[in-house]
Amino acid sequence: MTAATRTALQIRIEAFTFHGDDAPVLRDAALSVTPGSLTAVLGGSGSGKSTLGKLLAGWLRAGHAGQFRGSLELGGTVLEFRGVPEDPRINPAEWSRRVAFVPQDAAAMLSSVRATVAEELAFGLENRATAREDMLRAVERTAARTGLSHLLDRDPATLSGGELRRLAVGCAVIAEPDVLILDEPLASLDAVGAAQVEALVRGLCGAGTGVVLLSQAADRLAGEATRWTVLDAQTAHDGRTVTAAGTVTAAGTPAQLAGSAELERAGVIGIGGPGGIGPNILGSGVAAGARRSGPVPAAVPGPGPASLELRGVGFGYAGDPRRHGTGAQDRVLRDVDFAVRPGEIIAVTGPNGAGKSTLLRHFNGLLRPSAGDVLVCGRSIAGVPVGKVAASVGLLFQHPRDQLFERTVLREAAFGLRQLSGKAGAEGKARAALAAVGLAGTEAAHPAELSASRQRLLALATVLAREPAVLALDEPTVGLDRHGLEALQGAVDRAAARGAAVVMVTHDLDYARRNAHRVLELSGGSLREI
Amino acid sequence: MTPRLHPFTTLTLAVCAAVVTTAAAYWPLSVAVALAAVILAARHGIAGRVLTAGAVILTPLCLSLLVLHGLFFPEGQTVLAQWGPARVTAEGLGFALELGTRTTACVLVFLLFSFTVSVPDLVSALAGRRIPPQFGFVLASTLTLLPAVAGRLDRIRQAQETRGMVGGRGLLSRLGTLRLQMVPLVLALIDDAGSRAQALDARGFGSPGPRTSYREVADPPAQRLFRAAALVFAAAAVAGRIMASWPAGAAS
Amino acid sequence: MSQPALTIIAPGQAAGRRRRLLEIAGAAAIAATYIFLVLTQPADIANGPASFSALVALGGFLLGAVLLIAAVLPALPTSTVVLIPVALVLNVVLGQLMGSTGLPFYIDAIGTVLIAVLAGPAAGAATGALCSIVWSFFNPTVLPFAAGAALIGFLAGMAARGGLFRRFYLAPVAGFVTGILAGVVSAPIAAFVFGGTSGLGTGAIVSAFRAMGDTLLAAITKQALISDPMDKAIVFTIAALLAYALPRRTTFQFPFVRRYRVLAGKAPAAPDA
Repeated sequence: MTAATRTALQIRIEAFTFHGDDAPVLRDAALSVTPGSLTAVLGGSGSGKSTLGKLLAGWLRAGHAGQFRGSLELGGTVLEFRGVPEDPRINPAEWSRRVAFVPQDAAAMLSSVRATVAEELAFGLENRATAREDMLRAVERTAARTGLSHLLDRDPATLSGGELRRLAVGCAVIAEPDVLILDEPLASLDAVGAAQVEALVRGLCGAGTGVVLLSQAADRLAGEATRWTVLDAQTAHDGRTVTAAGTVTAAGTPAQLAGSAELERAGVIGIGGPGGIGPNILGSGVAAGARRSGPVPAAVPGPGPASLELRGVGFGYAGDPRRHGTGAQDRVLRDVDFAVRPGEIIAVTGPNGAGKSTLLRHFNGLLRPSAGDVLVCGRSIAGVPVGKVAASVGLLFQHPRDQLFERTVLREAAFGLRQLSGKAGAEGKARAALAAVGLAGTEAAHPAELSASRQRLLALATVLAREPAVLALDEPTVGLDRHGLEALQGAVDRAAARGAAVVMVTHDLDYARRNAHRVLELSGGSLREI
Repeated sequence: MTPRLHPFTTLTLAVCAAVVTTAAAYWPLSVAVALAAVILAARHGIAGRVLTAGAVILTPLCLSLLVLHGLFFPEGQTVLAQWGPARVTAEGLGFALELGTRTTACVLVFLLFSFTVSVPDLVSALAGRRIPPQFGFVLASTLTLLPAVAGRLDRIRQAQETRGMVGGRGLLSRLGTLRLQMVPLVLALIDDAGSRAQALDARGFGSPGPRTSYREVADPPAQRLFRAAALVFAAAAVAGRIMASWPAGAAS
Repeated sequence: MSQPALTIIAPGQAAGRRRRLLEIAGAAAIAATYIFLVLTQPADIANGPASFSALVALGGFLLGAVLLIAAVLPALPTSTVVLIPVALVLNVVLGQLMGSTGLPFYIDAIGTVLIAVLAGPAAGAATGALCSIVWSFFNPTVLPFAAGAALIGFLAGMAARGGLFRRFYLAPVAGFVTGILAGVVSAPIAAFVFGGTSGLGTGAIVSAFRAMGDTLLAAITKQALISDPMDKAIVFTIAALLAYALPRRTTFQFPFVRRYRVLAGKAPAAPDA
């Protein structure tokens, strides 16, 4: 457990195939990590970054999780894998003590059986039969390191996103690993939370831990890396299905790779931020997310009434028995007046917890206002069931997995269309909607096997296929890589051109400014134009 | 607040109360045990929860017992009333009373235990007694999973209604809707479980060998002694019942 | 200080023997209890509640369930252990969902059967027994049925191993047979511990047999033979539907599914490692 045994970690992948898959998800990839350095693996959604990270950390094990051909080297131990039963078997507990991994979904790191943050931190030490005094010291030290000292007695389930992420990192580093692998450590964190995680990573690097960053954004933290490796899914059509295997397409220093064609092809997002390496890290045109050639197409005010109108809407969760303590004074929405005309794109921004999603859920009746009225195409939806309002209002949620339930992508997009447009029409519309979001060619795939970015696009396609008069999108950009952002933008523009009213809720003010005709801010329960 | 009892002490008490009640088979004792459980629950401020949960379980059971044995008890001799094949007999009613009170007592005692015990303490205590750590995991994980699943099912329902799913009236269409709700739920749960397994393995959960516990649960000697005494008492009750009933049982 | 190895060797057979003995002891305890109860059932329950039989039933069946858990649980891989809470939650939640359709069945074992299909008979048995024990925190009346639940999980796993889930019409048949066995084994618990059934519908069926002069155990066994096979046939069908709705990467991560080719469809391209 001393620094004397610290060495680099190396992986060479000929191919890694999950059990049950026909084609590898990773092919011809290699990565090496040196102590005290920051290495970034950049790639779009579905490029196999997480798989690579989990292979490095022993979360996915040869034979156990899939077939692996290649080699792993840690601390002078070289393991060769040929994809046969005689291959060496990794001891996950011991391997992970030296190579720790923090998944993108920080909650997946937690044992889910410990009542306080301190006990959660100690869980890994308990399993290794660490003496109690040593555990107390290690928990205290790790908590101080990750900024959790004031939260030690809290229930992990009550932590905020940033706190949860730091707890997950704490659980990983409490065993003093030589290498730490972080999967999208800044995803869906607000500015404060992101800054805390960034500082934590810098501290760990400084203390000699080799850190590997897996990210689909060449952000400020990635900019500090000594080395970048670009991972890209090389797609191949084999008639019926599309297979994609992540491959290393480029490797080098950030200076060598910034603005390279490989980085752009991989779908990596560049985010210019203060203190970073400049706003145009990926070359001109690619700034916060996607490129847009020219301004937002002007809205053509359609004839007739507004597609969606809120009149004096007020709402509070007071009547909800699950939320105590919300009286009339802290209503989520109060006296919201708001109208969207056909063809108009409106963005609603605001801080976390301002009630943006609550507002969105009023559009189709998932939540009913306690005061005021909601009108869709001039008609009040009071008393109309959600399933009926759905014909005119399409709503895209944050978690696409909750919305997808069919066996194939095509069936998913065509679901419920038969009643609207007949059997033949349904399939045509479904295919058109899939093509509109760039998912043509994936019709036969299982929705759950698409990458996270594509799952969101599929959920968008299921909404678009119904050609609703109002399109409401909840944080549509989260989790999308650059290809996904472009597909989203194209689909939204086309929907607006067709005459749909688009309302999107986003925390990303830059994106809102660039892509909407009007930007509204929700704060203190009311909307104002900014 | 009374000094905190070790989880095993309350568990032992609950088990012994249930065993003794079952062995005694004497309805006044069952009623007394049930009342004692309710009074203790009231002192902990959870009488409402215990009684609600108990009522949900016990009402159909007791009603079923009453109808079954109250009306149909072919072994009964003392007929109180008769309608066609149905005969109300004193023995049948007594049997229903006896079993109903016994089950009520046991259910209330166990509910009192599970609503008062601190699950983290119980899990920690179990881990300290060479019980496989997997058992504590299953127990505690279920308790965290239940509310999470209820929330997720809610979200799935909302998302599907939003996609225009209107629940039909017929049995088949309702089953179809149900299938569409189950699939994303099951898939998400199994996927989450898969990544949790990887995380747990990485944190040494799957490796054999001894463990230590960060959480400390006080177990005073007095409570150990008390548990031993309670167990001996319950064992004596069982032994007494077996001795008393064995010939009757074996003779048939 | 010696460094623990980064690799492990495949588990040997030495530890397996003790576990096998525990498994056999558990199964024997359950079987012996059942036979003892049937042979010694009080001829005349009018003499008082079957307190002796209740204690024997509780003690024997719970001992059997605990032995089975002790044998199987420590040997289960973590990937199966994390599924047991999932099974429990699915049993409860899907049971409630099905209950909302108004079908006259309890449908409370979907999760157990699904896990048995994915992870095998041993995992199924442990899941069934553990689910009963943990769920008894909320409903203590399910605790005595732990042995029956373990049997359902075990039989579902055996059916999956035997390939009965490869043909869609065979799943309900396997469920039907499982229901017969599980119903018969659980009947003494219902008869001696609870003196009847917990539902009014099933209670009516028992009443009908009692009116014809059957003993309580016989009446409850016959009632179980009427409702349980149908119930389990439905449960197995739903579990099969769910197993086939899952993507292949999810089902094929389970070695049991790969090794015994539990589900129909093309074998994976990669050879099993």
